[in-house]
Order: sequence, then C-alpha cells, then structure tokens
Amino acid sequence: MKSRWAGLIIPVAIVVVLALMPTFVNNYWLRIATGALMWAGLACSWNMLGGYAGYINFGQSAFFGLGAYTTALLMGDPINLPFFVTIPAGIAVTAICAVVVGGPTLRLRGAYFAIATWAFAEALTQFANVMNFTGGIGGLNLPPFLNERFFYYTMVGAAVLTYLITWALFEHSRFGLKVKALRDHEAAAEAMGINTSLVKLQTFVLSAVTASVFGAIFAYWVTFINPKSVFGGDITDQMVVMVLLGGLGSLRGPAIGGVGLFVINRLIWMHWGDTAFYIAILGAAIVLVVLFLPDGIAGLFTRRSTKSGTVLDKAVGKLVGGGEGGRG
Amino acid sequence: MPESGFASILSNKQSEPKNGEQLDLFLQTLINGLLIGGVIATFTIGFQLTFGVLHVIDFAVGGWVVLGGYLAYYISALLKLDGFLAIPVAFLLFGAIGYLIGPILYNVRNSRTARPELMALALTFGLFTLLRGGMLTAWGFNTHSVPTALSGESLTIGPVTVPMIRVAAAVFAIVIAGGLFLFLYRTRYGLAIRATAENRQNAALMGVNIRRLSANVYGLYAGITAMAGVLMAAIFSVNPEVGLRYTLFAFFVAVLAGLGSVGGALVAALMLGTIEAFVSTYVGSSYSLLAIFATLFLVLLVSPRGILKRGL
Amino acid sequence: MASTSSPQSGSAPENRASDAILAVRDLYRHFGGIKAANGVTLEVGRREIAGLIGPNGSGKSTLFSLVAGTVKPDSGQISFDGHEIAGMNAHRIARLGLARTFQIPAMFDNMTVTENLLAAAAQGHWHGAKERAAETLALLKLEPVAENRASDLSGGQQKLLEFGRVVMRQASLILLDEVTAGVHPNIRKIILEAIARLRERGISFLIIEHDMEMVRNVCDRIIVMDAGRVVTSGAFEDIVRNSEVMQTYLGRPQ
Repeated sequence: MKSRWAGLIIPVAIVVVLALMPTFVNNYWLRIATGALMWAGLACSWNMLGGYAGYINFGQSAFFGLGAYTTALLMGDPINLPFFVTIPAGIAVTAICAVVVGGPTLRLRGAYFAIATWAFAEALTQFANVMNFTGGIGGLNLPPFLNERFFYYTMVGAAVLTYLITWALFEHSRFGLKVKALRDHEAAAEAMGINTSLVKLQTFVLSAVTASVFGAIFAYWVTFINPKSVFGGDITDQMVVMVLLGGLGSLRGPAIGGVGLFVINRLIWMHWGDTAFYIAILGAAIVLVVLFLPDGIAGLFTRRSTKSGTVLDKAVGKLVGGGEGGRG
Repeated sequence: MPESGFASILSNKQSEPKNGEQLDLFLQTLINGLLIGGVIATFTIGFQLTFGVLHVIDFAVGGWVVLGGYLAYYISALLKLDGFLAIPVAFLLFGAIGYLIGPILYNVRNSRTARPELMALALTFGLFTLLRGGMLTAWGFNTHSVPTALSGESLTIGPVTVPMIRVAAAVFAIVIAGGLFLFLYRTRYGLAIRATAENRQNAALMGVNIRRLSANVYGLYAGITAMAGVLMAAIFSVNPEVGLRYTLFAFFVAVLAGLGSVGGALVAALMLGTIEAFVSTYVGSSYSLLAIFATLFLVLLVSPRGILKRGL
Repeated sequence: MASTSSPQSGSAPENRASDAILAVRDLYRHFGGIKAANGVTLEVGRREIAGLIGPNGSGKSTLFSLVAGTVKPDSGQISFDGHEIAGMNAHRIARLGLARTFQIPAMFDNMTVTENLLAAAAQGHWHGAKERAAETLALLKLEPVAENRASDLSGGQQKLLEFGRVVMRQASLILLDEVTAGVHPNIRKIILEAIARLRERGISFLIIEHDMEMVRNVCDRIIVMDAGRVVTSGAFEDIVRNSEVMQTYLGRPQ
C-alpha cells in the first residue's frame, strides 16, 4: 500500500509549501504560521525526552525562558549583541542548567524528575519576578525588528532542523535504540552495557537546548518578554498536550499536535479572546487522550501490531477491565 | 498571578518590631508557622499514602484543596452557615468523587499499554489543569474569604498573640491526622494499606485487592485534602490559582520526607510551615515562594531521596 | 585475559574451578533483616556450565543481581575475568563481557523484536549487528515475529527473545535466570541447542534452574544455595547421592 514514492512526496510537498507560504498569505496568517512552527518545534523538543526516553518534564518552559531571557539581556542595553550571537549563549546557559537539574534527578524514578523540573521552572519564574536585572514582573524589551518573513524563515529553519535531528538521532541511530531501550526497561538496558544515566542526561540536554533556541527566536520576534510569557507553566502544559494529542514517542505526532492545537488556540482566541476556558480544554484534552487515545493521533494511523486491537478496543477494555490479568 | 494573601496576612498581623520585641516576633512567627504546618500535614499525609499505594504523584492535590475551599465559601456565602460546617460535607462529597476517580487512576497506572507511569502522571497533571481551568472559567480570578464564628478572634498567651482561627484549624488538623493514624495503625484495613504502600507484590500475595484498596485510599485522600482546603480557606482565602501553591507544598513535603513516607511527612510539613512563616516575616512575602521552590530544588539536588528517612 | 584469581583459603574448596572466569568471595547483602547473601563463595570456570539450585528465597536471584551490578553488595569480592567488579555499575560490568537474563522477562515492550536484538548490540558490538540480529532470529526461530512489538509476544517467545539479546551481547559469561521455566518443550529445545552451540564458542554459563532434568542434561557442575550461602557443590550424581541435600532442597515437587 505504501510505496517508496509516497514516503518522499509528502516531505517534499511540505518543504515546498513552507518555502512558498509567504507568497500565499498575508502577514496576519504568516504570524500564525510562524507560531504554529514554533509550537511544533517545542512539542518535538519535549517529545525527545518525554516520548523517547520516557521521562516527563513538567518544566520545559524553564529552558524556553532561559533562551528568551539570554537573548533579551544580550541584545538589550548595554551589551547590544547581534541576534544570532545570542543563540549559542542561550544554548550554553541552558545546557549548564539542564546538567545541574538532570544530573542528580535523572538517576531516580521519573516522579522525582517531574517534580524537580517543575520546581525549577517555578523557581525561575519567581526569580525573574523579583530580580531587577530581569526587569521583574514588567519584563524586558528587545530592539524591535519588524520583518515577518525573517522570523517565519528562521522558525522554519529551526523547526525543520529539530524534526530532522529527531528523525536521525532517535529513529535511525544506535543512540535512539539506547534511549528507547532505557525507556522500556532501565535495568535491562543497563545489563546491555548502556550507561542509562548518561544517555538520559544527553537526551535531556538536547531537549532543553532545542527549547531554548525557540525561546531566543520567540523573544526577538515578539520584542517584549516577561516571566509569565516565557516561563509560565501554561507553556509547558501546552507542549504536554500537543505531544500527548499527537502521539507520545512518535516522530510525526508532536509536529501534528503542535500545529493542530496552536491553530485551535488561535481560533478560540479570535472568537473569545484570552479565556481561562482554554486552560480547562487543555486539561480535558490531556485526560481524554490518556484514557482513550494513549498513542495519540499518530497511533490511529499506525497499527503497529495485530494483537493489540484498535485503539478504541484498548481504551474501552482499560476502563472496564481490571487490568490485573497476567501476560499471555 | 493574583496574590493569594497567603503570606501577606502573616506579615500584616504583626506590627513593626520595636526594641525588645524581637524574641516575641520570633516566637509568634514560629507558632504561626507550626499551626499552618499542622494543616499542611493533613493533606500531605494523604498524598504520601496515595503515592505509596497507587505509585502516582498526584498533581491534582492542589485542586482538591481549592475545591474544599470553594465548598466552604459557598456554604458560608449562599447558605449563611459557618464555614467550618463544610468540613464533613467536603469529606463526604470529595471522598465520593475521589472514590470514583481512584480505579481509573489505578487502571491507567497498571495498564499493559505503553508507559503506564508516564500516563498516570500525565493524567493527574491533566486533572489538575482541568480543575484549575474549570474553576477559573466558573468562578473567575476573584479571591473569596470564608467567615467562621472564630474569624477575627485571637488568642493571647503571654507575649504571643495568634489568630483563633489558626488554633482551631490546627486542632481540626490534629483530629483529622490523629484519626488517620489510628485508622492506619489500629485497624486491619489500615494494616492492609500500610502493607501495600510498603510492598505491592507482597500485599497482593497476602490477598489484598489492590484495585479496590486504591479506590478507597484515593477517596480517603481526596476527602481529607478537601477538608484541609476548608481549613486553609478559613485561615486565608481561596481562589483557583492558589492550587499551585498547595501542589507545591505537597511536593515539598514529599521530597523532604521521601516519596511515600507517611511519618516523615508530618515533620516535613511542620518544617515547611515554619520556613514559609519565617521567610514571609523576615525577608518579605514575595520571596516565600521562591524560598520554598529553591529549598525543594536544593534538597532534590543534594539528597534526592529525601532528607528525612523512611517513616511509615 | 588469563584469570588472576589466586587460590584462597575458602571454606568450601570444592567450589573452586581450576580456571575461574567468575570468583565470588564472602559476599554479603542484607535487606533489613533478610540475609539475601550471607557469605556467598563460589566460582565458575571457563567454558563451564554451572547450575545454581536451591529453594525459593535462598538468594539465587539476589546473587545474580549482585554479580551483574544491579544490587550493590554490603561486603565481599567479585572477580570477573580478571576484574574486581563488586560495587561496579551494571553497565560497566556488562561492557566487560557479562550478560544476564531476568527472572521476569525484561522486554523493551514498545520496540520490535528486531529492535530488541539491535538494542542489545548498540553499546560496543555494533559492527555487523544487523547481520547478527538476522542470524539470531533464525537461530531462535523468531523470524515470523521479527517486526512485532515485544509486548505482543507470548511468554515463551519473550523468554526466547531475552535469550537472543544475551546472544547478541557476545558475552564471555552468561547468567540465565530460569530461562526455560514454564515454556513449551519446543522452545526449551531451541534454547538448549543454542546454549550448547555457545559453549562450543567458549562461553561460560551460570544457570538458575528448578527443572532437575534440565540441570542434569546441561550443567557440568551444580552449586546448591540455601539461606544466602552456598551449601555444597559438585557433580549432579554426587549431589543426588547425598540424600540429605536431596531431601532438604531437591526432594520437593517442582
């Protein structure tokens, strides 16, 4: 059913559409496209650790914010560095923080890591709120650069690069095998000679650094950031929903979920403005996906095995059945 | 984020320290902190039990606290009744809801599909987000206070003056926690719960129906947490955003005590209340959250399995 | 690569093999009041297949975890292929050439059977891994399910797959924990043939097994454990002749 050409046609079509997008649409929709690409990239970054390594990070916004604040501080007075120089700086800051956070906690069970990342993000938010050099609650301004096409193409580059890195590293390399092995059975992975602590840390740093790059672009794009807009927990919430909705641990799922949910977000925003209702929708989406669609949208299209039955069968069985039966 | 008044009340109550009153202020802060710590202890003990039995950290813990607070608010505002009357209602209502949610959580945690631990974590996170968003949508960002017969009264012992409401809340908390401990240590069912929290395989071998036990424990925990929410709302006030704080408190205690440790939770909760009171009084209330997050974070880095070793 | 284990004044001289690949000395590990390892001393020789038997709870699986590095010993020495490995991380021990299976099959559930095999070779043995994975699939007759997820396999197939991962490790010592327990006779036959073939390649085995028939057919030597200690060891026939041991440890229905 699936020919070799089909596998090539879709990516090429996507690249062509992405490249020509600015000639089709006005600036308003170009901004939405830019945002959709950013969220797709962020969802992919979260999925690297959450989906492939099986560690839930509830503080990914910390790294997004670190990238944003590093760029804002370095581009603003008195340093005034050019934009592209600030990105590696943000990467360095983020990598150091990720090692400090992940080093001790990734050795433990996932619950501690989830708490640690969450606490780290919240602590950074509070820190940025009370410090002077971060501008406090008021935040920071960046030198405005009002070229929508520049930001669109920068975001295309970052998102496509993120996707390709995920494809190459997690789906087509030894490294990906190690990561997935430790996700599924850590003790067995250790018994295969895999240094699980190191591989987890590498994955976490990569995931964090990716988010920081999007944070840097975001800061320059919107020209104004504050603790809530770049460190806020809602940013992480949204990434989690996008990945779960799209399909945890799949390649395409997070990208699909990211674009889809962001467009829905904008449509809601257009009709009702900034509403708390969206938070409730996010929460309901997480609950429903966990209960009824554990493999996400991507799982609907790939029947990975014959025995498991359809997603719906599984979900119904899970709610009704006891779940304590032995393995066949 | 609207200021919950959590810490500001503490600092408002105190007048500027005059010469020679340093010790009084210190004592007052300490006692206030311990009283709040007692209330925090009630729901963190439940949180620890839930982790022990279900192996899930419940992000929704703050949501249950806030729901209890809103119940108290509506009982006092609409029915013109004393806020404390909400305590038994909160236990029954949210206990029942928790009893219904427990098995779902258990099924997700023990499902044979991919990554059950992650999925269960995501589920409680989603539940927390749903509760927060739902409450914001339904009730808005406004902060409500819950009047009780004791509001405004205060108790003076020597140089120390503490609000009566805090003393009453701490007494309720001791009764709740004491009842829970008696149940855990003096009944057969409590023994089954503790055995399960210690070792699920052994408990299963001993014939404990862990699925039903999980439902009961989650119900018990949700009920107790909502009762604590009534107390917290009576002391401070309630709005949907404060749930985040209470989730943080539960995590803080869990990390200090070691996840699943019930005995350590009591000590850690008292420590938390004290730290929060001292930072608010001596540094400033805007730093209290930062201090708690930073302490939590440092403990995770230095001694990730908890600094108070296993109790239970 | 020669063994550096020197003769020691062990309490049980018959535990010593002449040229040991694994030498455990006075190993202790207590869990609370449970003495899971209470002074274990034993050796496994090169190219030897040693069987480890004893009643449930006698500390066999704990010994595996101690040797493989999953559990750290309280005290004692473990020498493997000339390296002192007591307290070393599991992945470092694995890299020295030790492979193990788990009592409950430890599948990489969400990966395919082929990926499970490749993952075993991802650290250190990557060259030619794809060809060896294909060979292993053929050897263990897992080709029909090569692209199925590991979680969808039957219990017996999971045991096979776990054994296959151990084969992919190209280890010098393999620890097998009840690898044929409860599996279909056909699958057992496949595993036994594979063990024989690996031994021809010079690989040593330490096998936990309850099935006396299998122990008799496969093992060169038997080590009997009880209450966290090695009680005795020797040839199967000698152990069987010792009626006391038989009564206490082996006489129970399987």
